[in-house]
Amino acid sequence: MKTVDNRFKHAYVLNVMADDRPGIVASVTKAISRLEGNIDACSQTVLHGYFTLIMVVSFPRQLDTEDLLREVAGPPDKHSNFRVQLMPFHLPKASKEKYDSFVITAFGPDREGIVLRFSRVLADKGINIVDLFGDRTGEQFVLIGQLQVPKRWDIAMLQADLEQIGRESGYTVRLQHEDVFVATNQLRLPSQHKSLPVT
Amino acid sequence: MLRTDEILSTIQMLHAEHLDVRTVTMGVNIQDCASADVEAMCRKLRHKLTSRASRLVETCDRVGGKYGLKVTNKRLAISPVAHLLSGHDLNAAVAVAKTLDQAAAEVRVDLIGGFSALVHKGISSGDKVVIDALPAVLSQTQRLCASVNAASRRAGINMDAVRLLGEQIKAIAEATADRQGFGAAKLVVFANIPEDNPFMAGAYLGDGEPEVVINVGVSGPGVVSSALKRRLELEPNLTLGELAEEIKLTAFRVTRAGELIGREVATELGIPFGIVDLSLAPTPEIGDSVGEILQLLGLDAIGAPGSTAAVALLNDAVKKGGAFASSSVGGLSGAFIPVSEDAALADAATRGHLTLEKLEAMTSVCSVGLDMIAIPGDTPAETIAAIMADELAIGVINNKTTAVRLIPVPGKKAGDRVDFGGLFGSAPVMPVRNPGASSRFVRFGGRIPAPIQSLSN
Repeated sequence: MKTVDNRFKHAYVLNVMADDRPGIVASVTKAISRLEGNIDACSQTVLHGYFTLIMVVSFPRQLDTEDLLREVAGPPDKHSNFRVQLMPFHLPKASKEKYDSFVITAFGPDREGIVLRFSRVLADKGINIVDLFGDRTGEQFVLIGQLQVPKRWDIAMLQADLEQIGRESGYTVRLQHEDVFVATNQLRLPSQHKSLPVT
Repeated sequence: MLRTDEILSTIQMLHAEHLDVRTVTMGVNIQDCASADVEAMCRKLRHKLTSRASRLVETCDRVGGKYGLKVTNKRLAISPVAHLLSGHDLNAAVAVAKTLDQAAAEVRVDLIGGFSALVHKGISSGDKVVIDALPAVLSQTQRLCASVNAASRRAGINMDAVRLLGEQIKAIAEATADRQGFGAAKLVVFANIPEDNPFMAGAYLGDGEPEVVINVGVSGPGVVSSALKRRLELEPNLTLGELAEEIKLTAFRVTRAGELIGREVATELGIPFGIVDLSLAPTPEIGDSVGEILQLLGLDAIGAPGSTAAVALLNDAVKKGGAFASSSVGGLSGAFIPVSEDAALADAATRGHLTLEKLEAMTSVCSVGLDMIAIPGDTPAETIAAIMADELAIGVINNKTTAVRLIPVPGKKAGDRVDFGGLFGSAPVMPVRNPGASSRFVRFGGRIPAPIQSLSN
């Protein structure tokens, strides 16, 4: 995973959750700009009308977090939800364990505890979820997770375990290396498999 | 990060629409197995094939499993056996063939191709042994496939070879009469045979190829027809140009899947990756048919006027998508129209919509030729040779590969049904018009000269 390159010394993780509407990013970044801060990384998504934004921001001088929160949140607005959270940013320690990127997909009848069941198995095996998507349509639920699977696991065994857990809940589960999705959707072929010179 | 819609569309393609890697074919050069002593030659062959291919099947299964993409068949393609058989007799040919068959069984590949001869300009002593041995070999082996190149753009058509092959095809069918002449389904006669084709029965390892190489054949008529169906449900008024675009896009994705698997299998086995052959190769399964694509393109009866144009559109779009997806596209790369192996084509033949002559016309704009066609067992050998000559002429003049795989089913007449089982499917015995009326033409023999390359109208 690429690490963040902070522009200034004092870095924070900023999280905004709000009713989605035009202008949220503009108002948040205006506040950061006023405090002479820099956005080092950001990611935003909208889910069913709700906006969420996560940012790594850095500043040339130490800030009072309360000031920063007030600045970003602006004056209270009774008509729309707007929550901001802030914590100091520390570079995460790089794990020594090597991993491969896989995608898990699960399709089946919506019922309680499905995500729990899969995520518990993944957690027990030290598998990190880096992106998660879930959607309920009618009685059907689809779950897609992008995973970092430590190289120490035997993929065939892991697939069999997950498929078995899926079957118990009426789910079709597949664990596939992400390159098959890259190869079939993106213009560049995944480059890790270099062909050997022709002998 | 991948997008959800990308993940979902790949899942759909892999698991609901029959996308598979149809074959991973390992090419092996066997010329260093030559020997004056037949036993020594067989020993060397067995050793070379079983050591080179020992890990092929398990590697394909493991790599396929990792990506959730099934490698349906694992196969071997060897350099032409004719090179080994110069100076040997028919018994040696049978011994070699049985050795190849056993070696294939030992490494658990389903087919091995390369009982082959290249005779487009003339027949060498080794080639003659191969052709003479075909009935014995194809009736006494299970996994071995044969091919003969009898014509090329630069040499023209070797009509002596074509005449001989007409007789041998009948002899092969007779020798396997207990299996409805099925031996003939394991022989393909080519014009401009590709040297890196991974698809059977015509796979062999050509000159100029590496010592050992991995070639991959990807299919996916089901993926193409599903993509067309989806688009047409949303927008029923699409033009043919827009439909071609959809086919091209799908071909791109299918090719990518094949190249991914092929390269990783080659890397794991420590041998070079050769090509990915994107061909729409149907299976008798419903939803895995080239005929269904033609129906989606608006042909209510396959074989009706417009069929040749529709196949041309399909074949060209497949090639364009494949060529953009990979710089290593080779082999046949196009749409196959094997009658018995495609439920919709077999059905059209049964209804009388699709005739031998229309199939011939369609093959002038697609891969690969008159393929898996059952004809009456009493069709004269010269007529079979003449059908071949017609098909090879299309390849020679149009500078493309064409091929013939006809099965004259012993004891059956036009309209009877044959069932070859499994992937080979079932089909009606198709009528051959004017049987016997080409005999004088074929008996002239000699060579039809290579065509002029200019004045191309």
